[in-house]
Amino acid sequence: MTNVKIPLLLVAVLVVAACGEKRNKTVDRGIDAKHLSQLKAGIWVDPNGCDHWIIDDGAEGYLSQRLDKFGKPVCSGVAPPNTAVGPFKKGSTVPDPI
Amino acid sequence: MTGRLSKSIRSTLSGIAAVALAVAVAITGTAPVMAQQTATTGRDYTPTIWVDPDGCEHWVMDDGWEGYMTPNVNRQGIPVCRRGNVCGVMNSDQLFATDSARIGPKGKARLANFFRQANALSYIIVGHTDSRASDQYNMDLSLRRANSVARVAVKNGARIADVRGYGERMPRAPNSTAAGMQQNRRVEIICIR
Repeated sequence: MTNVKIPLLLVAVLVVAACGEKRNKTVDRGIDAKHLSQLKAGIWVDPNGCDHWIIDDGAEGYLSQRLDKFGKPVCSGVAPPNTAVGPFKKGSTVPDPI
Repeated sequence: MTGRLSKSIRSTLSGIAAVALAVAVAITGTAPVMAQQTATTGRDYTPTIWVDPDGCEHWVMDDGWEGYMTPNVNRQGIPVCRRGNVCGVMNSDQLFATDSARIGPKGKARLANFFRQANALSYIIVGHTDSRASDQYNMDLSLRRANSVARVAVKNGARIADVRGYGERMPRAPNSTAAGMQQNRRVEIICIR
């Protein structure tokens, strides 16, 4: 039984690996496929109290600085440091318990 | 012996200096071209653009399992935005006397009204001047004026994220005409929602 399962698992791993290098980096493939411009962001407040856009898109996570028009960090006070607010887990139907 | 040794060291050192100079000239002279050439030898990682709720662009890539994102800023570090969130530009002439950072009762009432209606989460207050007087003087004056506006904001229950003065360094119009200078004498209010 186990002797059959191990090669099967190996084949499965190889099949996934054979997908190879993803050519188009501008789309999210698979279960919740979409163009990346559709992402839904929340705000993560860093330990200095400044804002970052945070997006949890199922398998991928994105984080990018929130800047004002002069290129300085935006520290809005929307939430205490080391916390996140907003709909940043809403963009994907892939369950993400953590 | 020591003479010959020091001479050979000297000639080696001057040789190194000449090479360093040649390298420096090569780097400073053709830096952008070199950057383009090296990029063609890398693996293709063409990003797409995600626009944040403020209207500013970010480079974004999905590499299969991983995702990457970073703000799209120009070479001067200024973000590329499709719209701004400047929600108020106060004409300095209407708030302050020349060279003063004091706001009269009329100006205070106008600002109070503005902050009550803007209803933002917090505000960034940025002062600017025209190009008359010295740069240092204008940096100081614009900051004092921005602080005066921020004090009125706080009195009216607004939260201030930052107060800055850019003096004459971020003009909105050319300082060659009186009308241009008047446009440059301003206090910008950025609303963070």
